[in-house]
Order: sequence, then structure tokens, then C-alpha cells
Amino acid sequence: MLADSGIRAQITAPVRAAGSPRTVVAAFNTRKAVRSGVLWGSIFGIAIASSEVSYVKLYKTAVQRQALAATYGTSKAASALFGPAPQLQTVSGFTVFKISMTLMVLGAVWGLLTSTRLLRGEEDSGRWDLLLCGQTTRRGATAQVIVGLGVGLGTLWAVTAIITVLSGLQSSVRISAGASLYFSLTMVATAAMFLAVGALTSQLAATRRQAASFAAVFLGISYGIRLIADAGVGLHGLIWASPLGWVEELSPLTAPQPLAFLPIAAFTVAVGSLAVHLAGRRDVGASIVADRDRGGVHLGLLYGPSGLAIRLLRARVTGWWVAIGLSAFLYGFIAKSTGATVSGSVKEVFSKLGANGNGAAAVFGLCFLLEAILIGFVAAGQVTAVRSEESDGTLDNFLVRPVSRSTWLGGRLLVALVVLVLSGIFAGVLGWLGAASQHTGLSFTSLLEAGINLVPPAIVILGIGVLTFGIRPRATSIVVYTVLGWSLLIVIVGGFGTLGHWVLDTSVFHHMASAPGVPPNWEANGIMTAVGVAAALVGGLAVRRRDLQGA
Amino acid sequence: MSDTALRTEGLTKRFGDVVALDHLDLEVAQGEVVGYLGPNGAGKTTTIRLLLGLSRPTAGRAEIFGLDCQRKPVETHRRLAFVAGEANLWRSLTGAETLALLGRVHGQVDEAYRDELIERFDLDPTKKVRSYSKGNHQKVILIAALMVRPDLLILDEPTSGLDPLMEQAFRHCVQEARGRGQTVFLSSHMMSEVEALCDRVGILRDGKLVEMGTLAEMRHLSALTVEARFDGSIPDLSVVPGVSAVEADGSLVRCQVRGSIEPLVKVLAAAGVTELLSHEPSLEELFLAQYGEDGHAG
Repeated sequence: MLADSGIRAQITAPVRAAGSPRTVVAAFNTRKAVRSGVLWGSIFGIAIASSEVSYVKLYKTAVQRQALAATYGTSKAASALFGPAPQLQTVSGFTVFKISMTLMVLGAVWGLLTSTRLLRGEEDSGRWDLLLCGQTTRRGATAQVIVGLGVGLGTLWAVTAIITVLSGLQSSVRISAGASLYFSLTMVATAAMFLAVGALTSQLAATRRQAASFAAVFLGISYGIRLIADAGVGLHGLIWASPLGWVEELSPLTAPQPLAFLPIAAFTVAVGSLAVHLAGRRDVGASIVADRDRGGVHLGLLYGPSGLAIRLLRARVTGWWVAIGLSAFLYGFIAKSTGATVSGSVKEVFSKLGANGNGAAAVFGLCFLLEAILIGFVAAGQVTAVRSEESDGTLDNFLVRPVSRSTWLGGRLLVALVVLVLSGIFAGVLGWLGAASQHTGLSFTSLLEAGINLVPPAIVILGIGVLTFGIRPRATSIVVYTVLGWSLLIVIVGGFGTLGHWVLDTSVFHHMASAPGVPPNWEANGIMTAVGVAAALVGGLAVRRRDLQGA
Repeated sequence: MSDTALRTEGLTKRFGDVVALDHLDLEVAQGEVVGYLGPNGAGKTTTIRLLLGLSRPTAGRAEIFGLDCQRKPVETHRRLAFVAGEANLWRSLTGAETLALLGRVHGQVDEAYRDELIERFDLDPTKKVRSYSKGNHQKVILIAALMVRPDLLILDEPTSGLDPLMEQAFRHCVQEARGRGQTVFLSSHMMSEVEALCDRVGILRDGKLVEMGTLAEMRHLSALTVEARFDGSIPDLSVVPGVSAVEADGSLVRCQVRGSIEPLVKVLAAAGVTELLSHEPSLEELFLAQYGEDGHAG
């Protein structure tokens, strides 16, 4: 009775308002954006710090540093892929070259995914209607979300900056606090622009997936324009036509040009303002770009859960395949010219990164590690899609009909496995095409094997995801992306010999041979595949024995 | 061949310390239409998810057409169809694509009947699910369930979001199903719906089945409501055997009677009654009698 009266007292007690009802949407979204900003800011900061530390450890003498600068400083292919490489003989120059393009793209992806999730995603779920019933308007609520995203962006920068400044202050690195702060700011500039782009596409598109796709296409075009501008074909002026190019022009740590912040700020403010304006001019649930509410009856693939999964996921998977295939082709394209310089100290670097062998094969070994990471993301996406079917309730539609849990899950995993294997084959075949176009001399078989070699780590991620799905379904997404993020972190940090073997072993990518630099280790691949399959089987048994669980 | 469509024995489900369903013993014969009532949280949806094999019981067992629901879910699902109170469909498919998919998964569809149902429920199947209203979502899963002409229909708040005309169409479909010998297990908050459709009604309270029977059986267990108007002074009815809940409003008196009505009739006649009305309790009154007027278990 006492407990009961205590609960009643809590319920009947006046609720203390946390902030003004007019700003509650901003406060609510700030909390979500800040959480994400802390996580990704940590990843950004650690990546920058590891790059700085690794350079100091690997290139101890001026001779080694000059050799590196001579190798990459004039490489047009490397410039096209990673951006210009000035001052490679310094910690600052190496860090910018090694990490900035990766972080620029990651920041853009973070920005577009976060803003489309908090804007169009909330609208898709119907929760946006509830917020609009409060003391706000469509335009006001959108502006409040953008304010929340802005605070999240500030958090991303702050966390990145703290780690970068601390790393830069080490006596061996010696990068000033001011330079580190400026560098951190440039690294989150793409995030700012693509938060705004995501906010705009959330108004243009009818669904969150469509909004994210529109923004991703814009990112792809931006990257493509920058790539052409940096390819040394006399079109460098194009750099000003790409938001990624503006960030590159900021030239942090080497030759800072703060004026390049002007187009970045103008673009962000203009696109963000346009998003707010459009939010007030359309109905909730509607889109600016006309959406087809009707469609013909297309029964292809609609024969069961697996066919439906292929139909619903094909656009997303195709996007991954395009990214994997295109990047593999580019790696093939530059392998010969870059590989020609792999000797001496550079060979040592490659070796420490796990890319053994000579010439183009060694370059492929290193680049295909990035492909393995992409395929790891595909695996994680497949597992989270499986969990989404349960959490959004659509799975019930199958399981109340003559479909067993084993049949459903088995079919879904078979689809996922085929997607992963095809991803590896695409990487190998497209890599070979790129290499063949430059007469690199690497055989089709060796690159196909190297492509298939990328699949076992993804199978381990898939298996761990299914195991979690069976035991703690609500933790599936967090566990699978933690495994992937951890493995990625170990790859970034651990390649420079700073970690013990037992730590390195916790990364799924550490067990993968750097083919085609060295032959694939089929024994290790077999063990990884067996571990993944065993984990998936245990997870599958657990799924059969538990209650279905919603979100 | 068992005559029982659905049977549970000691079916129990706990979520931690919370007992959602407590030793449910239930039997539904083939061809019956059974209503399943209870307020939010009484255990109705838990029962249905156990019957469908979506949740596992803590204790007890459930059978559909003699087959264990947990061990033979695929076999039992071949003979049943389910309608949830909230339709979770694939937003990018059209209504027609959704019906085609769900029909193929079930394995048998009466296509002529499906087309008839689409007309009856006034559904535009060319529209994408994401453009449907809540009521239209509900129409899709209703049609998907009815079009396979299952032996057993399990319905959990099936008319949620439907307008009165569509509710009427739904009742007509259930009556047709009964006419064809199909069994219907209907969980609902709509007393009028259950009263109009069901042969028997079960009332669930705090996870326990507290009443199960026909409406007539339940009414005999409950009080008769009597209203009487007088020209002169109003007699004291509270002293009459079997009479309770006496309320006076001017010359009108309202009361409830349990057992024989004869003592009350004698008192009313002697007092010069001018108008006399009596009616059996509605299902809503029976339900409220179980839960109290505020709708909470008491």
C-alpha cells in the first residue's frame, strides 16, 4: 500500500516544466544530436590522433620523410582519391593527406543521416504530428530541429577538437592548439553542410530513405567533381563547384585559407533556411517533389519473406555495390602508378598496415582492407534490417501465416549471404577491370580470390549480429555496429604496431590476409566462416525459443 | 477429427513479476463465434499472441484444431487467419501488392471473394500503403484474412479505425463466416459488436477468465433493471427482497432486482404504479458490473 501511495503521489505531483514549451522540440532533438556528436567526435579525434602518432613512429628520420613526400606528393592518382598531398615530410601534411578526405566523407554521411532521421524519419513514424500539436508550427519545429542539430554539430567539433589538441601538444607531434582547433573545424565542415542538405531533402522527399538517397546522390556528385578537379587534368577550377572542394581549399595545417569558410557558411545557412521555408509551405506527410501515391501491380519477387526482402533492399544494396565497385575500380586504376613506388620505407609502411607483397598487389592489399570495411557495413545493414522487420511489426504478417521462424530467418540470412558474396565478387572483378585498364598485370583469378577473401570478416559480423538478435534483439544494432566500429578502430590504430596481439585479434579484419599482396589464407577464412555460421545457428535457435519483441 | 477449434489448458504468461495471463482454461467449438472482452492490460492480446505462437507460455498449453500452437505453428496457421488491431504493413507496396503477397504466403485465396471484399470495403488497391489512412490499413488486413476463407478467424480489435459503414460491412462478413461454419474468436472493446455477433462471451480480468457463457446465461446471473413511475407517494423499495441500487428522481424510481421479481411487483402494484419498464442488462452493463462503473477492475 505504501508503495502504491508513493506511485500515486508521483503521478499526481505537479510536473515541473523542463524549459519553455516553445523550445521543447529543440531541447528534445539537441539531446539526440549531442549523443551522436559525442560518439562520432570521439571516432574523429582518435582517427586524427592515431594518424599523427603513427607518422612520428614510422618516419623517424628526415630521409624517410622526404622519401614519402617524393612518393605521394606528386601522385595524381593519390591526389584524385585522397586530395592534394603537400608537405608530406611533416606530421601536419601527412595527417591531412591520410585522414582528411575520409573524415570529410564520414562527416557528410553523419550529417545527412542524422538530419534525415530527426526530420523525415520522425515524420514517417507519425511522431512529428505529436510535436506539432504543441506550441509550435511546421516551420518553427523544423527550425528547432535544426538548432538541435547545430548543437550536435558543435559537440562533434568540441570532442574532435579536444582529442586533436591533446594529441597535437605531444612533444613528438608539435602542432599548435590553434592549428588543431582550425583543423578540427575543417573536419566537421562537411557535416555542417550535409546536415543542412539532409534538412532540405527531408522537405523534398516523401520518405526518409528517399531523403537520404537524394542527399547521398548530392554527396556522390560533390565527391566526383572534387575528384576530377584534383586529378591533374587541368580542371582544378572545378574545385569551387563542390562543397567537398571548399573544405579542401581550407588547407588546414599546411596553408590555411579561412576565407574558404565563406562559401561553406553561406551554403549551410542558405540550404538550412530554404529547408525551414519549405517546411512551412507543405502539408505534414507530403513532399515538395511529387510522390506517386499509386502504382501498378508488380508481383515480381512477392512470393514470400525472402523475395520481399530482396525487393525492399535492392535499392540500398545496389547503392553499396556501386560504392564498392566504383572504389575497387579506382583502386585498380591507381594500383600500377602507386605500386611502382612501393619500396624501402613505403614498403615498410604498407607491411605494417597489413599490405604485404610488391608493387600493385601491395597497393591492392591495402585498398582492399577499405573494401572489407565497406562489406562489413553491408553485413551490419543486413542484420539491422532483419531486426527492423521484427521491431516494426511487419514480421508478424508472415509469422501468423504458414511461415516458421526458421524458414523466415534462414531465407533472410541466405539473402544476406548472397549479397555479401556478390559484394566481394564485385570488388574483385571491378578491381581487376581498373587494373587491366592500366595494364597492371594482375591476373583475374588473383583479384577474384582477393574479392572473395573480403567476405569472411563480414560473415563473422553477420553471425555476431544474428546471435545478438536471438538473445537480446533490442541490442542488435548497437552490438553489430560496435563490433564493426571496434574492428575499424583497431585497424586504424593497430596497424602501426602499438597494440598487443591479443587486442589485434579482437578485430575481425585482422584475421584477413591482405590479398592479392599475399595469397588468401583459406584456413583463417574457413575458421571465420565457421565462427560466423555457428554464431548465426545459435542465434537462430534462440530466435525460435523467444517471444517476438517490438521496438 | 476434433470438434474443438481452440483449447487452452492452464495457459499462463508472466513478464517478470507481472502475470499477464493466469491459468487460462478456454474452449471454443468449431463454428462458434466467441467474444473475448477485457479492458486494456487484461491479457487479451497476450492470449492471442500465445495462440499464434508469437509468444511462448510460461506454463500451460494451447491447441488449435488439436495441434499444439507452439510445436506446430505452421500447421495451425494454415487453418487460421489473424487480424491485428494495428496493421503494420510495408509502406512502399500498393494495397493490391500487399494482398497478393499475403495471399501467396498463406497459400490459398478465393480470388473472386477477395475482389468482392475490396468492393464491399471500398478499398482502392492501386494506392500505396503509405498513402492509406488508418482505416484503410485495417481494411487491407481484414480483406487479407477473410479472402483465404480460414477455418478459424482470430480477430484482435478488428474494426479499429473503421467508420460505421465499414463496421457494418465487417459484421456482415463475420455473419457470413459463421454461416459457412467458420469459427471466430473476437477480441473487442465494442460491446455492441460482440453483442450482435457472438454466441458466447468470455470476460478477462487481471489475466483471469472471470466469466464465460452465452449472453442469456450471463444475464441470469445479473440484475434486472426496473423503472417505475407513480402518481402518489413513492414506496420504500430498498426493503423489498432482491432489490438494490434504488434511485428516485421525482415520481420516477429506478432499481435493480436479483432473483424473483414477484415481491417487487406486489409492492409496486399496491403503491399504484402508473408506468413500468424493465430490461435485461446489456453486455456493456454486464461488463461494467464486472469492472465497476469507472471501468477499472475492482
